[in-house]
This record gives sequence, structure tokens and C-alpha cells, in this order.
Amino acid sequence: MTAITTTAPSARPPVAVPRPVSRSITAPLATLTRRRFALSARTPREIIVPLMTPILFSVVIAPALAKVTGAVRGIDYMSFVAIGTVGLLVPINCMFAGIGVIVDRESGARRDLLAAPIPRSLIVFGNLAVALAISALQVLALVGAALLRGARFDTHLSGVGLFAAAAALLAVAMYGGAETLANRVAKQEEYIGAVPAIAIVPWFFAGSLFPITALPSWLAAFAKILPLTHALAVMRYGLLDGRGTGLHDIWGMSNPTAMAALSLAVVAGYAALLLSVSVRVFTRSAVR
Amino acid sequence: MQRRTKETSPAVDVTGLSKTYAGGVEAVKDVSFTVAPGEVFGLLGPNGAGKSTTVGMLTTTVLPTGGSARLMGHDVTDDPLAARAVSAVVFQDAAVDRSLTGRRNLEIHARLWGVAAPAASQVIDELLDGFGLAEIAGRGVDSYSGGQRRRLEIARALVSRPHVLFLDEPTVGLDPRIRFELLDLIAGLRARSETTVVLTTHYLDEAERLCDRVAIVHEGRIVALDTPANLRAGLGAHLVELRVDGNASRALAKLRAEGLAGDDAFTVGATLTVPVHDLTPRQAVAAIAELDIATGGISARPPTLDDVYLRLTGDRLAA
Repeated sequence: MTAITTTAPSARPPVAVPRPVSRSITAPLATLTRRRFALSARTPREIIVPLMTPILFSVVIAPALAKVTGAVRGIDYMSFVAIGTVGLLVPINCMFAGIGVIVDRESGARRDLLAAPIPRSLIVFGNLAVALAISALQVLALVGAALLRGARFDTHLSGVGLFAAAAALLAVAMYGGAETLANRVAKQEEYIGAVPAIAIVPWFFAGSLFPITALPSWLAAFAKILPLTHALAVMRYGLLDGRGTGLHDIWGMSNPTAMAALSLAVVAGYAALLLSVSVRVFTRSAVR
Repeated sequence: MQRRTKETSPAVDVTGLSKTYAGGVEAVKDVSFTVAPGEVFGLLGPNGAGKSTTVGMLTTTVLPTGGSARLMGHDVTDDPLAARAVSAVVFQDAAVDRSLTGRRNLEIHARLWGVAAPAASQVIDELLDGFGLAEIAGRGVDSYSGGQRRRLEIARALVSRPHVLFLDEPTVGLDPRIRFELLDLIAGLRARSETTVVLTTHYLDEAERLCDRVAIVHEGRIVALDTPANLRAGLGAHLVELRVDGNASRALAKLRAEGLAGDDAFTVGATLTVPVHDLTPRQAVAAIAELDIATGGISARPPTLDDVYLRLTGDRLAA
């Protein structure tokens, strides 16, 4: 009978070298971000495809509709829709970014990342950083195209800041949803099938093309719980609508600054919730 | 901050490690072993034996449901970052960014493992040269052959100069020539005395050629653990193998009654395997042949790890 000898022989001299364990998260986060950038740059569809529909809306459809509609509550319709298309661009881009999560999993590349001596949540944050950066570039391209087509925006610093904050928080929330979905579905096809329902359908109810007051009351009530509705109202308040009419449609208050703060808080709440859920789902899916 | 590993610790220290998956599947059952620094240790068993789950627990991608494991003194459950910092793994399936270049894959690994940039660049150059990848390092990995990709994955795992290197079925799916080249390459790792290697395989030749010690894993348990030579020696210097018509167990009983087979003889299907201890192989074959029970052929040969595995589990190890 073969004996089981579980103790190892000291065949070779033991070697013990200090290993770096606790280190700043900045360096690995930067590495993960650069990696995701490099991968995204090699799949231009992830950057170009999300831009196509919003640009089309902003520079072709919105000007055409503006000729029919004229203005919405005194705001040039083309400019109104230009901001509305940001609410289409950001969700689509973030959902496309989620495909990279599935590719990582299917190609096996995720396994080496999971074996790395870094907190696994950093993998999510690295992906998020790239989704935010690409969203920012795309929003700049969209706004630039709208300006070239004749849209007019107020560009005072606080307004731009509000616009940027709302767009960034919306991107965080949408990427959180995308990362969560990507870690929950088995196949890329399944994920892509869910993209329209998550990224496009809410856009029709969120005051993107017309004020939510034009909706039936029950649908308007539904619109008020969408983060996109709040984000668009803040973005328009920042760049277009100093009176905050979109915010008033949601809150019914008279102080636009207070309403903007409330809506921004709602979007931030969604962003925090969805991002924390995505980190939890990812870390749980990473360990069996 | 840097943490010192404990100099007296074995490189790998596994005690009562168990894993029961949701649904009640017991993949690993109360496994214990230690691996000395610099040792090449093999987990040998068929698919589904629990080898990859064991490696998964040691590399912190599978959560143990019982027992403990330490890498260079760092508990994989309580201190997973430290455990991962002293180890690296080459996975059974491809685990590279295929659209990036080979060099970029190594650079990303180096940065994630905290290797300083100047040192990383030097180590990467050395590894690319040493693994014959320097000329293709600037190409996307999706253009690599299976063997080149596998070499890249092993090179990548060595970038951080890990104390413990896990090789999970490193040659599965490769054609024989590439497999042979990789075995040479892995054998070369033995020269790196600072690297402890834990290798899982279901190929006997890999275990025999590469490993200082081998644990035979069957249905989640270690059923034998020793050097390949000692494991084989347990079956004596030679064994006689005969094929019988009819009931092999009855033939075995007859051999035992005649004093030609001991307790370590075993049957699998119509094949009867008899370790030879007191006779020469020629004498044993002649004595068995006289009993007229070997109708399908009889031969003598030295034992292999497959025989050890067969005797312990009743299953064949590798196809």
C-alpha cells in the first residue's frame, strides 16, 4: 500500500523575498484603465456606433423638426433636442462599454485580472473610467456638431459644471447597470438584446424630445423616477433653460437651484446604488 | 508597505481543504499537503477529480468551504491579496488579451503585480528572449499559434518572479510537438530554485518527468502522495498483465490461491494486473501461463503511475 506523505521534503533551500502587498490603488487602477483604453481603441465600433444615432438626431432630425415645431417654451427646439440626444448617447455608449466585460470573460482575460494582487473592485472602476472618458469625448463631439448646425447654448461656468456633473453621474449610473447586466447574462447576444430596452426605451419617456408634461399623467409619473429625466432636466438647466422649466415639471417648486440640486442628488443616488450593485455582482461572479 | 513572508513556512501549506459547490457537489474533500520552496509538485488525476478546484482555491478564485491554505505563509481566505502577490497562475484555458501584443500583455501583468517599470522592462525582455517570443512580441496575440500563446502565458506568469507558480493543465489541447516543447520549457523552470511549481495534469509522462512529488487525486481526495519513483515502487519492480476470457475476478482468486498474486493485484474489466515481488518476471509469466487462464495474452513490464492510479481507484488515468 502506498503511503501518503503529506509533508514536503526540504529538497531545495527555502527562499523568502519580501513581496509588495499593500500599495496604492492608483497604479493598478491606471493600468486597468490603460488596458481598457487599448482594448477599446482596437474595437472602434464601441466608440463610433453609439455616436451615430445621437449625431443623426442632433444634426438632421432635430433641425427638421425645429422647422415644424419652432420652440419649446421659448427654447429653440434644435438646441432642446441636442441636449436630449445626450440622454441617448450616454446610455448607449455605457451599454456598449459593457460588452467589453463579456469579452473579457469569454476570452478568459478576466481570469488573469482576478489572480492579480489588487482589490477586484478596481477592475470595475478601471472599466468605468474608460466608459466615462469615452462618453465625455462623445458628448463633446455631439455638442460640437449641434453648435455647428446652429444650436445655441449658455456657456457660463456654473451651467457647464451642472451639465457635466449630470452627464457624468448619468454615465456612472448607466455603466453600473451595464456592468451588472454583463456579469449576469451568459452570452453577448443576450446582452445586446437587452440594450434597446435599457438604453433607448427610457429615452422616449424622459423629456428628451418633448416636456414630460406632454405625457399622460401616469407616464409622466413614471418618467419622474427615471434618472435620465432628472439628468436631462439638470443638463438643460445648465446650458439652455435658466428658468428650470424641466425641473419644475418634475418637482413643481419655484427655486430652480434647489430643484437642480434635488435632481442631481437623485441621479447621484442612482449612480451610487447601481455602481455599488455592479461591484458586488462582479466580485461575487468572480469567485465560485 | 512591504510585508515579509515567513521564512520557516512551506511555500504551500494545505490543511483539510474542502469545497462543496451550491447543489451539494463535493469537488474537494479534506485535502492536505505541503509543498517545499523550490519543489515541483504534481496534482495528478482525471478530469473532474478536483485538481482545478484545488488550484482555484489556492489562487483565490474558488472560496473554500472547509480547511485552510497558505501560500508563503499567507492565508488564501484571510489575506488573499498577499497570497496572490506571491503567486501566479497559468490557466487551463486561454487567458490573454488577444487583441493586444504579447509584450503589452506582459507589461500589464507586471504593473498589476507591482513590478517597478525599469525592472519590468528588463525582466520582460529576458523572458521574451528565453521563451523564443522576442520576434513576435510586437504582434497581436490573436496571430499567435497555440504553442506561442501558451509560452506567452507562462512567460507572463513569471514576470512577477512568483514564489509559487500554478500550472493548471498547461499542455491540454496542444499538438504533440508543441506539447513536447512546452514540457522542456516547464522542466527548465526547475532550474529556478526560487520558484515553487504546482502542476495539475492528467498526463502521466508530465507528472513523471516534471514533478518531485505527485499527489494522485480521485473524486476530490488525495489517495496517494509520494515521489513518482516511490509510488511505482509500491507495486514492485515488475508486474504481469494478462487478459482473460470470462470472469477476471475468479481468475484473480485462482492466482491468489496458487500464491502467485498478493493483495495488491487488481482487475479492470478483462485485464488482470499482478505485481511481482518474489519471482522474476519470466518466472511469474511462466507460472501463470501454466494455469491456462490467460487466453488473451500475457506480458511483463515495469509499473507506471497509471498502474498505481488503477490500483487505487479502479479507473484509468489518461486516455
